[in-house]
Amino acid sequence: METSVKSKKLTPGKVAVDIVLFLLAVFFIFPLYWIITGSFKDRVAVNANPPVWFPTAPTLDNYQRLFDNPALLWLGNTVLMAVAAMALTCLTAAMAGYVLAKKRFPGRALIFSIMICAMALPKQVILIPLLKEMSFLGLHDTLWAVILPTVGWPFGIFLMKQFSETIPGEMIEAARIDGAGEIRTFVSIILPMVTPGLGALAIFTFINSWNDYFLQLIMLNSRNSLTISLGIAKIQAEMSNDYGLIMAGAALAAIPIIAVFLAFQKYFTQGIAMGAVKG
Amino acid sequence: MKKQLSLLLAAGMAASLLAGCGGGTSSTATDSSSASTATSTAEATAESTTASGDGLTADITMWTYPIGKFGDAETVNSIISKFQETNPGINVTVEYLDYTNGDDQVTAAIEAGTTPDIVMEGPERLVSNWGAKGKMLDLSDLWTEEATADIAGVSQSVVNACKGADGNYYEYPLCMTTHTMAINKDLFEAADALQYINEDGTWTTENFQKALQALKDSGVDTTMIVYCGGQGGDQGTRALVNNLYSGQFTNPDHTAYTTDSDANKKALQQLLDWSNEGLISYDAAAQASDELQLFANGTIAMTLCWNASNQAQYASSVTFTPMAVAFPSDDGVPELCGGIWGFGIFNNGDDNKAAAAKEFIKFLCDDETQGPESVRLTGFFPVRASFGDVYTGTEDEARMAEFAGFMQFLGDYYPVTAGWAEQRTAWWNMLQQIFTGTSVDDAVATYTETSNAALASASA
Amino acid sequence: MASKTKAAAAKGGEVLTYNQGTFRNSALVRQQTLAAYLFMLPALFFFVLFVVVPMVMCLVTSFFDYRMGKPLTFVGLAQYVKMFQDPTFLKALQNTFILVIVAVPAVTAFSLWVSSVVYQFSAFKRSFFRCIFYLPVVTGTVAVAVVWKWMFNKYTGLINYVLGATGIIHENISWLGDARFALGCIILILFTTSIGQPIVLYIAALGNVDPSLIDAAEVDGANNFQVFWQIKWPQIMPTTLYILVITTINTFQCYALIQLLTSGGPNHATDTIMYYIYYQAFKLNDYGYGDAMGVVLAIIIAVLSAIQFKVTGSGATD
Repeated sequence: METSVKSKKLTPGKVAVDIVLFLLAVFFIFPLYWIITGSFKDRVAVNANPPVWFPTAPTLDNYQRLFDNPALLWLGNTVLMAVAAMALTCLTAAMAGYVLAKKRFPGRALIFSIMICAMALPKQVILIPLLKEMSFLGLHDTLWAVILPTVGWPFGIFLMKQFSETIPGEMIEAARIDGAGEIRTFVSIILPMVTPGLGALAIFTFINSWNDYFLQLIMLNSRNSLTISLGIAKIQAEMSNDYGLIMAGAALAAIPIIAVFLAFQKYFTQGIAMGAVKG
Repeated sequence: MKKQLSLLLAAGMAASLLAGCGGGTSSTATDSSSASTATSTAEATAESTTASGDGLTADITMWTYPIGKFGDAETVNSIISKFQETNPGINVTVEYLDYTNGDDQVTAAIEAGTTPDIVMEGPERLVSNWGAKGKMLDLSDLWTEEATADIAGVSQSVVNACKGADGNYYEYPLCMTTHTMAINKDLFEAADALQYINEDGTWTTENFQKALQALKDSGVDTTMIVYCGGQGGDQGTRALVNNLYSGQFTNPDHTAYTTDSDANKKALQQLLDWSNEGLISYDAAAQASDELQLFANGTIAMTLCWNASNQAQYASSVTFTPMAVAFPSDDGVPELCGGIWGFGIFNNGDDNKAAAAKEFIKFLCDDETQGPESVRLTGFFPVRASFGDVYTGTEDEARMAEFAGFMQFLGDYYPVTAGWAEQRTAWWNMLQQIFTGTSVDDAVATYTETSNAALASASA
Repeated sequence: MASKTKAAAAKGGEVLTYNQGTFRNSALVRQQTLAAYLFMLPALFFFVLFVVVPMVMCLVTSFFDYRMGKPLTFVGLAQYVKMFQDPTFLKALQNTFILVIVAVPAVTAFSLWVSSVVYQFSAFKRSFFRCIFYLPVVTGTVAVAVVWKWMFNKYTGLINYVLGATGIIHENISWLGDARFALGCIILILFTTSIGQPIVLYIAALGNVDPSLIDAAEVDGANNFQVFWQIKWPQIMPTTLYILVITTINTFQCYALIQLLTSGGPNHATDTIMYYIYYQAFKLNDYGYGDAMGVVLAIIIAVLSAIQFKVTGSGATD
């Protein structure tokens, strides 16, 4: 299935593309390199000019200061929040995306139009009403207050609708003729077909939820319900650029995201295999 | 498949259950759900009741900005345990705000109706922002005659700053300081520029210019930076502009912004001229924290944003001797901006909690031993004359004495002027305009117009 | 319209299934409709409760003078009138449009190019590059902004250091503090943080293109270029549409970078509508004005999205 086999021949064009990709890779890796090395630098080295390219005297001080606080609890909160948002979004979006793409029912166009309009509305303006709503529901300052709005946001439905549209109609029809019910059709025909989409959606939702700093900031207050990025902001002193601490926090926070990313990679591959089988 | 559907239904039911329980108390959300490990202690307090006897029983919350050690959980917890020795019925939960996000969080809490009982900051927020918007409780009963006299004994302007336009006190102050500049003493020595600074840390505008020239001649690339990339630490640039030719930031009764006075315009023109001559630099991408970092690195010779707390914070990372100095002034008598910090109580409609909050504030500020200790924790100076020098006999005595000398130059406390938030944004925008080619007259006119319009609309 | 792409997919045919065409039985249609609603229900539950309700509240309050500490008063369209007389808003609108016009095509074209090269690599190399381009998203905006802020620093920044050392510039430039460069710098950072998601999607979509179609075309003598535009491009159209719409929305809503890096300066050169809304609502507590600007921004984005749906030929509404 790998198309790379047939393009072994080296041409100047291919070499140029490889060089450009390599340079781009360096450019994109650099910030992360700088963050990871920066997290091991002391306060003088992290701000030094000319820059210290590699921490010659690495220190764990930044991590120590981070773990003087309940950093692991914050990390746990963030993982819980992101996983819950991810699971709920994937389930609801896959179902809704499928029927929006593949079924006709009254109100379908209207629902989809409202969803697009809702995505267009800046989150900042719905935050205050949302805040009042959460407070009314008694959910303010709980992780639900950041999970539920993420699940409600219709990006996922849109994405799953786009993926579901590529499913051939006959497959669904064939399943029906075989006597499969709605749920069985969805689970055994639709879901495998949209696996790559679901994999992508899972990652996007996880990361969007993880990085939705402002929503977390508005909804969470208590020290014990903080997320990692809020927690790191809180332990900064006034008037100081404690870059070492920020970078240690960012490095710590990046580990679960990279883990999730790598874990869901295989679903893309699976999707590719499915595509081949179906043909 | 059935299982999946029932799971889904269960999730929906759980969510609607949560919704159904809402509205009243706010502690219902957590137990049923796996996703929220964090039971919010702050919220689980709705059932507080008045106890029998004289002791109050209440669970109160306090939010504090990072003011000295009041940003440090361990320190604050030890204060609370001391407080509970005499007030066993009162539980205090503390949450820590930061200056980047704290205001947004308080805004959110006000809108959600989840404000804490006590908040620790200065009159700029407590009095002229949240107080003026009717969100704070009047603290007049804390301002006993004795306390008022004691505080006025240090400075009447502290008393005035804590009082809102409606005559209510929205803040009970704990500590204060003056904001100064600092110089890199080593660079000044090498440039033979220390001669331009008087014994008491003051200097004239004329000598300031000579010092800039001397630094430049000795090879200092960047002497100082007029930072204007945002509002962080803008008291430094305000003080610089106001002092150079003894201008005032507002009129005496705080009903108009007066940056368009001749003295202030002359000062702004002077800064622009110096910048054009290469004596100073400006950076429209830097805020005070960036400038301080450059100062700490030894890249620049002065900072406009200095006080006892900043000094303590940067002490470990500098390799030179920083020396606090006043802002240069044409008559040699500077008027420094003050910082005042204290406590306010949000109007949450619970008298019992408010009473408990007042007890805690009294303990922090008025208690014979805790009062001075609280001040020491902030790293600033007491607002009460009766406390005397709270640093006598501590390791900080000499360090704090350097800053205590500047208290006599404390000027008007003007951040209580209405329209303050709009003014702050207009200020750094004005500086950016001046340094990028807009004439001083035009830029100042825009600024004054914007700020005074905001002032008028806020007090309407 | 939806069927156009499907027809190109050769296997597609008529995709909207059995509640039309041969199955016209009305009981069946009812059952189908009911099933469709039941499938929509969970999503709609969250969507209505946590998006539509606040959205309506926002729309309603945009017709009020709604400020913290002031009584709520109906002002009709006054907020909307005020907006178009507010020079900062107009400047922010202009900046936002520049961002969108530059960033959206750049992000889409670049990610399509990278993906079309990378998806043919071996599994390992493909994963590697997908990961690399996703890193800026993974690292989080705050940390990425810290690194870029340092790189752009006037006195100690990497960029001035490198340009100065190589003699390209002789005087340090305050990249984020100079009206000539600031918006460009923001676009560059926005670009690096925006291409991760499109690349992941395009690689997935290109991998899903039916290989037998490509083989058939190649047997027919089509060159790479023709294979791409005639076979692959129509098949990845739904993905392209999604990427266009999402990138447009995200770019319009760019705000965190501005807050962390420039506060809208210098001289409003990097003010965006989103940042201005944040400023009005959270710094000045003028919610009514913020809501009104939000509504206008939403209308602009919705119109642009509708155009994108039309142009890419994937009618949302048939």
